[in-house]
Amino acid sequence: MTTRLLILGFWIFAYLPAFGQNRPYFNQTELGVLIGNPIENWSGKNKNRVDFSLISFHGAEISKNQVLGLSVGLDQYEPLTVFPVALGWRGFLGKENRPQLIGGFDLGGGFALLEKKEKTEWYESWHQGGLLLSPSIGVKLPSTRGKKTALTMSIAYKRQELGYFMGNFDFNPTPRPFTNSKLPPGYSSITETTYLFHSLVARMGFIF
Amino acid sequence: MKNLNSVFASILILISAISFSSCQDEVTTTYTYRAMMPVYLQMSDVRARTITIEPAHELENPGKIYLYGNYLLINEPQEGIHILDNTNPASPVNLNFIPIKGNVDLAVNNNMLYADNYVDLLVFDISNIRSIKLVERVKDVFNHLYTTSDTGVILTFKDTVLTSESDHGFMGRGFFLSDSRASFASNFSGAAQSYGQGGSMARFTLMSGHLYAVDDYSLRVFDVKNPAKPMHIRNINLGWGIETIFPFQENLFIGSNSGMHIYDAKTPSNPQKMSVFEHVRACDPVVVNEKFAFVTLRNGRNCFNGVNELQVVDIANLRQPKLVKAYPMLNPHGLALAGDFLYVAEGKHGLKSFNVANVMGIDQNQLEFLQSMKSVDIIPGPKSLIVIGPDGVCQFDYNTPSKLKKLSCINVKNPVNVQ
Repeated sequence: MTTRLLILGFWIFAYLPAFGQNRPYFNQTELGVLIGNPIENWSGKNKNRVDFSLISFHGAEISKNQVLGLSVGLDQYEPLTVFPVALGWRGFLGKENRPQLIGGFDLGGGFALLEKKEKTEWYESWHQGGLLLSPSIGVKLPSTRGKKTALTMSIAYKRQELGYFMGNFDFNPTPRPFTNSKLPPGYSSITETTYLFHSLVARMGFIF
Repeated sequence: MKNLNSVFASILILISAISFSSCQDEVTTTYTYRAMMPVYLQMSDVRARTITIEPAHELENPGKIYLYGNYLLINEPQEGIHILDNTNPASPVNLNFIPIKGNVDLAVNNNMLYADNYVDLLVFDISNIRSIKLVERVKDVFNHLYTTSDTGVILTFKDTVLTSESDHGFMGRGFFLSDSRASFASNFSGAAQSYGQGGSMARFTLMSGHLYAVDDYSLRVFDVKNPAKPMHIRNINLGWGIETIFPFQENLFIGSNSGMHIYDAKTPSNPQKMSVFEHVRACDPVVVNEKFAFVTLRNGRNCFNGVNELQVVDIANLRQPKLVKAYPMLNPHGLALAGDFLYVAEGKHGLKSFNVANVMGIDQNQLEFLQSMKSVDIIPGPKSLIVIGPDGVCQFDYNTPSKLKKLSCINVKNPVNVQ
């Protein structure tokens, strides 16, 4: 699913310059924090999750007030580093060269590329990426000097799915896969964990 | 502009709704594992069921393969026996299936098929393969399966997959995970060894009018001079962890966890222990000719030998076997000896053939190395070389030992997993 979205995203991105010939390139890069409410730990306590988030949106104007493009970035979810790649839309409300409202919507996937796939004699494990969905709203404060550059501040909701797989290998002398659709061949046990992170994101950055 | 306004409004509502509801992260962990579930059976119920020959079944997890005349008899562990017509090894035909619960091994003597059925030994007349008949049931011979023999209840285990779910999980590289992982893995290897390897599998072999069956710790001897009426003569205690039995010239070579036992069976009804060659471990298959035993040692998940090699053991003096030479291999599993030619299943690395006429120079006499033929076991049949691997049960023409020619492969639902 996420891979398909990614391909679609790149495809659109590749075509953007074609229909954006006289549509100027648009970039919005913001840094901020991801705030979430994790599940209780073993002692029943939970402390808010506050982590780093970076987003860089690249797009082209499709109409006077709208931009379509691709957003990439980096999100930290406690120990996990996730690279989000999403199709994005940005819309502007308000008079040009004055403070404007920016609305945004990103849909794509997050990939746990830094999380190493482990494989030993006994088990293997890896992280799986998952769907990413993020609506955002913010303000654009144009700089007094340059026409194009502007300061932005936004808040967003980010929904990120992730997965973790660990499989212990089958130790039978001649490992025979066991006929069962729930257990893939070669494993004696598997642990599949799905995470769904709901985060509030507060970011600041620039539009070029 | 109006559209844009409503989009902005909905985004704002969405974000604020989510923020104020203080949504909590969600974690779901599903743990799926294979376990052996104990199954208690009343032997009288097992015996009450009539065994009716069924049409051909697809091969699922083939166990022992037995060659008899033009037939291939293939055990489906705990389920029964497939009978295939192998008149033409290039296209074997699956004929029928004998459903025998608790069956793990078989042997054929003068058209009489011997098969274990939990604690009993069954005898089928297979002289007419289209009309197989159960002719004899020798009761209570594999009685180690009884929980207590007076109640007639046996204990077996069923391979089962269980799933448990929890809404708590561990985060990525969190301490909990890295700690638990190690203990998990070791637990599992322990558990697997207790059932997977030895289990309660009987291994049959026929020699000099006697049927020998080994299980975990004993050798059971049956007189089969009257093929239709096997007579249980005695049990010989072998120690624990018995795995394989290989008959050769009135001697029995029994592979166990502790070593290779050599028994003199000149008096077939009463084999006598001659020696134990200690260096060989459970998953080390052995083949033998007049002078030498060839043993493969491999390093694997279950076979912690630490080496991958082919050992040549001088057995000219059966009371004092001694290691002659060891050759490094990649990951040798089963092996087969046909005259001067030795075939070694190298697991995922393929299949090798050697001329072993000169045991001191086996490495210089490698004939072929078929890297595409992943394999775990090999049986040298009179018409074909049978190779078991991820492709199923395959047969090769080996009339020219240095050049194997693939004839056919029988598809298997769950082929062996070679890693």
